[in-house]
Amino acid sequence: MSTVLRLSGLGERHPGVTNALGDAYAEAASVCLSQHHQSPIEVAAHYKKSESDCVLPWIEPTSAVLRAHSNELDATEQGAYAVSFAAVEALAGLVAVRRAETLTGADYYVAPIGTDPEDMESCLRLEVSGVGAGNETIIRARLRQKLRQTEKGRSNLPALAAVVGFRERLIAIAHMGEE
Amino acid sequence: MTWSHWHAESERLASQAEVELHLKDVSAAKNLYLKAAELESQALLELAPDKPRTLGITAVSAASLWFKARAFKKASQLCYLMLSRADLPDFAVDQLKGLVQAIWIEESKSEAEVMFLPGQVNFSVKGGEVVVGGAPLDLIVDKVKTIQSIFYRTIEESQDMPLRRRGDPKREVQDACRAWLFQMPPGSYQFSVAIQEPAQRDFFKATVDPDMIAERFLKVLRASAAGDAAQLELIVPDVDYRSTFLKLARNLAPTGKTFAQLEISSALGGDAVELRPENRKVISSEINRLKPKRPVDPAMVEETLRGVLRAVNLDKDWIEVVSDVGTHHINGLAEALDDVIGPMVNRRVVVRVRRDTSLKYKFEDIELDE
Repeated sequence: MSTVLRLSGLGERHPGVTNALGDAYAEAASVCLSQHHQSPIEVAAHYKKSESDCVLPWIEPTSAVLRAHSNELDATEQGAYAVSFAAVEALAGLVAVRRAETLTGADYYVAPIGTDPEDMESCLRLEVSGVGAGNETIIRARLRQKLRQTEKGRSNLPALAAVVGFRERLIAIAHMGEE
Repeated sequence: MTWSHWHAESERLASQAEVELHLKDVSAAKNLYLKAAELESQALLELAPDKPRTLGITAVSAASLWFKARAFKKASQLCYLMLSRADLPDFAVDQLKGLVQAIWIEESKSEAEVMFLPGQVNFSVKGGEVVVGGAPLDLIVDKVKTIQSIFYRTIEESQDMPLRRRGDPKREVQDACRAWLFQMPPGSYQFSVAIQEPAQRDFFKATVDPDMIAERFLKVLRASAAGDAAQLELIVPDVDYRSTFLKLARNLAPTGKTFAQLEISSALGGDAVELRPENRKVISSEINRLKPKRPVDPAMVEETLRGVLRAVNLDKDWIEVVSDVGTHHINGLAEALDDVIGPMVNRRVVVRVRRDTSLKYKFEDIELDE
């Protein structure tokens, strides 16, 4: 039976994501997905060397939502957050519990569902990336790049990287040190 | 109050600021970032000394929030204060140094008496002969020229101008969006490029947001570097422009001899674009795929010439390459472009040609052979 990846209600299930931002990320994902597909779709999710078949439904974007997410780069990045949150929740039992700002955006920290961390000592940092039209080779190359950047010490340890291929219907997730 | 309380409140405000930014309300976002920065700084004070990772993350977060609120003095004060602490983890030291660098550039930009479009692009040349803060001059001059060419081409393409095959961009393009080079503190060899805001913002056609030029530049480079044909076609529908961007991206990519990697990133976020020697092959293969298909002529033989590009006359349609065995005169440069071939003069190049039975060469492709 396929695992369902839930884009709606991210803010309710992920304590580190506000409702407004979770909804905005989900809208961005719907814009990226609807460029190539009709809801729902089957996606392949690669995590810990195994592949899961998942179902990804979304609400078709209205023209207002399409206009609000017309910047393709932002939409791809924000949409990838929504899909990655849903995927790590369904596949790894992790939810975003904290958010911390960086120079160029924000990092999200994930922990097992039900954890209420008093600090960030044991959280995993989630590194997210989105690929609009690229194929599996491009998605895998992006995942390798993410893991390489993480290992170079640019960011803090330990970390988990997720790359979402919207057209390819592929989510690749790996812990630092894998791949 | 605990770290958790202050941090959670700061998270909430920073998230709201991100939503406001998305809604293009920069002023509201700035105010929210200011409040979030104050709370995150408060969280930093409440942190127990046995939480080094949380300390590092919170320090970076607080300094980033001051930076996003454009409170550069507060941001740099916090960076220096935290960098002086012995218990700060390495990842936070690296990120705070990056912030100091970004603050320096933003302050330099505000001192220049011109406005800049958002989204400067940072370049970092690494490996090979490049040392921290130093690099061969010809290498950097070449790369800067190519970067400028890609910026101009990005503007011309977004304005639906016909592909320019010869000469510099029109004066109106050069004047509208002048590129500025900013020094960056050493860390490999780094520099930053910002685009001066056009005096007349209506220079751009209605469908082009000038604030997106730097972003478009990066999108084009990202898709070119990855050989991502589908994505590049989405961004640049015109095949001639696509081919031009690929050739310029290949000129930027290292061969691995003089330098090993060029990393290109936006100050506004998103993934960095990495150009490595292996990208040249991917890009070359995409360039070949886009070339117009010619009927196969059995009398013509494909050859590769290696040597120094000594002369170029694009108006008369020839180049001359001097190799160990002599001078080769090569004709048929119809697809060649000034800003692709120009920076290769007096440099070692690899030229793919077709040779006919009378030993005349027809041009196919050219790239640097450092």
